[in-house]
Amino acid sequence: MNTNLREQTNKSKLTKIISFIVIIAVLAIFPHVGSDYGRNILILIFLYMAIGHMWNLLAGYTGLVSLGMQAFIGISGYVLALVVQVNGLPIALAFVVAAVIAILFALLISLPIFKMKGVYFTIGTWIIAEALYVFFVNWKFVNFGIGYNITAAYRMNMNAFYYMCMIIGIIATLIVVVILRSKMGLALMAMRDNEDAAEMRGVRLYRTKLFCFLVASVMTAITGVALYLNLATIRPGPAFSIDWTVAMCFIVIIGGIGTIEGPIIGAIIYVLLTQFLYSFPGYSNLILGIIAVALILAAPKGIMGYLEDRFGFDIFGIRRRL
Amino acid sequence: MEALVQSIFSGILLGGLYAVVGVGLSIVFGIMGLTNIAHGNMMIMCSFLIMVFGTMCGGNIIVMLLLAVVCVVVFGFLFQNFLVNKVIDKGANPALLVTFGISIVIQNVLTLIFGADSRSLQNAFSTKNIVSTEWLSISGGYLLDFIVAVIVILALSFFIKNTRIGRAIRASSNDVRAAELMGVNTKMMYTVTMCIAMVTACIAGLLVGQTFVFYPYSGPQYLIIAFGVVVIGGMGSIPGTLLGGIILGLAQLLGSHFFGPGYQVFCGYIVMLILLTVCPAGLLGNAKRK
Amino acid sequence: MSDYILQAENLSVSYGDFIAVENASFKVARGSITTLIGANGAGKSTMLKALLGENKPRAGKVIFENEDITGMKPNVIVRKGLTMSPEGSCVFDEMTVRENLLMGCYQKRAAAKKEELFERVYSMFPILKEKDKQLSSYLSGGQRQMLAIARAIMADPKMIICDEISLGLAPVVIGEIYEKIAEINASGVTFLIVDQDVGRSLEHSDYSYVVVKGGIVMEGKSADLPVEEVKDAYFGINKYA
Repeated sequence: MNTNLREQTNKSKLTKIISFIVIIAVLAIFPHVGSDYGRNILILIFLYMAIGHMWNLLAGYTGLVSLGMQAFIGISGYVLALVVQVNGLPIALAFVVAAVIAILFALLISLPIFKMKGVYFTIGTWIIAEALYVFFVNWKFVNFGIGYNITAAYRMNMNAFYYMCMIIGIIATLIVVVILRSKMGLALMAMRDNEDAAEMRGVRLYRTKLFCFLVASVMTAITGVALYLNLATIRPGPAFSIDWTVAMCFIVIIGGIGTIEGPIIGAIIYVLLTQFLYSFPGYSNLILGIIAVALILAAPKGIMGYLEDRFGFDIFGIRRRL
Repeated sequence: MEALVQSIFSGILLGGLYAVVGVGLSIVFGIMGLTNIAHGNMMIMCSFLIMVFGTMCGGNIIVMLLLAVVCVVVFGFLFQNFLVNKVIDKGANPALLVTFGISIVIQNVLTLIFGADSRSLQNAFSTKNIVSTEWLSISGGYLLDFIVAVIVILALSFFIKNTRIGRAIRASSNDVRAAELMGVNTKMMYTVTMCIAMVTACIAGLLVGQTFVFYPYSGPQYLIIAFGVVVIGGMGSIPGTLLGGIILGLAQLLGSHFFGPGYQVFCGYIVMLILLTVCPAGLLGNAKRK
Repeated sequence: MSDYILQAENLSVSYGDFIAVENASFKVARGSITTLIGANGAGKSTMLKALLGENKPRAGKVIFENEDITGMKPNVIVRKGLTMSPEGSCVFDEMTVRENLLMGCYQKRAAAKKEELFERVYSMFPILKEKDKQLSSYLSGGQRQMLAIARAIMADPKMIICDEISLGLAPVVIGEIYEKIAEINASGVTFLIVDQDVGRSLEHSDYSYVVVKGGIVMEGKSADLPVEEVKDAYFGINKYA
């Protein structure tokens, strides 16, 4: 009986591993066989998936609902512009500088915002992002509100860029899986479910939260560089726009907050939907808003939450069952 | 020196406007624990409604405000009853996303109908200087902002404190179960609260329109002001919004006075952040609120 | 008119997979004081919640004054004259004593008799009149319980349900509360009471039901029920376990 069960789980594990390998292999050869349009769509899915994962790590597992993650995307977009466009240095350097600045900035703002709780934290993070926007508009060093065109992005090899984005997406997924499977993952879930009780049991709240916040900041910043390589133009308004976080929020909540699969499904839906809606100029955001409301009324826990309740779905094996 | 006095006075009067912008957000949060992301866009929607009714009925301010109030109360009823109330028991996130979605919908509908041009409700009174000395000049618009703000805050405080419905609303926020057991339909109280918030948004829409220009996408800008006002004063505290508004107004205009107009908004944000860090529950906030 | 003001017929309530109450039936005679006796987690509170529509029974009926009230919402049931003083008293602690009482007569039927009810409550609980303008969070535990009962009377009910009436209170205070209940009962209000203490429950009531594991295992006139056997059932000893 017992061995039988073990065989069965081994078998399902094997099927899982094989299907992962197949998916990654298909994605890896896609640029050589698929269309350019399909490739560009996949690039967007990888990148949005990455920032979705990071927002999910914060909001879904750590209980830190931030409306200010656009701060990191904006900062790294400007890092890219200054490093590559203004100073003519290589793109790789932009990633390194963006990561370093993201850590420093996250550490700096963690001092005030980690004193705030719940909705105050949410608003505090948004105010920081808005303050950055106003500051950049008035800052000569970053060319005021005019911004830059990042011409180096046009000369990029798109296939290489595709692989870079794919790696970013995979790394973001792995980071969340690894964190949640570690001892820290257990602590995180205990903390999200009951902060006081977790603290009493010796979970070091501050350090755990700070660690997740730093990880999410750095990954969001790195993805931000890639996003701006794709956009190839930057101004303070769009760079620090709440729209970035709206997208993350949409992806995570539609997909299913607090699940690993959620941001992946959410990113696919979000990107395909926004692409599809491009053919309805003026109506696209309107339809997106209506779909968001309708979906949330139909499945308040998101698509993964719904599937889990109905069929006990659990692809990545994060949840621990007794 | 004259300029400083002028900044202080204008800051305080502007604070009144900000208080009215924030008070609707504050009561919705205080009563049902909901952060209404759509509040800013709802307010701008009211500005446009007043503008439309204004052209329809020849600028009779009372009639156009009344028509707009009726419209937005119906809107608030539908919004709360058929959308928010359906998901409010299912945790904070679904309700938040519903307001998020509605916020996007309002902004885009406004853009579709009215285009991206700037609009204004300014009139002869709002631009005329009521007080005009060598030290100080105050426009009718700013003065009206402050007077209306004080009236709105006082009236709301009285309503919540002393009327039967006001008590039932407070009871619903204090203890949902006990309130239901007293015969209160708590969901209905939520709807009433949302409708009241919509009325304040309508008044705020009128004041903002007669003081500044507005666009279909001005909503988020006022949402963040509303947030600032409410977190400084304390979420759910009605008198706190007036205090929060005045602090924010002063911070902005003094910032502009000392560092230049470009830093007006920036200084407002910095003061918000400092106050949030120093007293995380707001100045007049109730620490044990959700 | 039936002699029973409230009847629960074959009530079953579950929370997800967990069955909290299974096939429980009990009746409350008009004008009586009836108790439910049972240990923590026996399902008493779940039964009371089912009576007031705070949870949905999987099966069974609740009949109040010959009307089927199963599945109605609490705020509707309360208007019919059935009210409840919840466990832990649940007074509105952000409101004053007087405001709490005003909430008691929120529904229109009671609101019409507001002055009369205030007079009655204040003469019965002079301490509440004294503290009338104080925030109820400043009251002592016993005073909170009295406020909860007073608030229930303000609804001008035909029947009051009291959950965990003596929880955390000093014996002297409990005695005082039972005195008040007897006084209110004498004026024609029916009571259904839950109390942790077996002896006290039997002493102060007319009729008792013993609840074990979500079902009724014993019932009878309180004076006739053998205390020792009720206690055995309560502690889950021998045949009732």
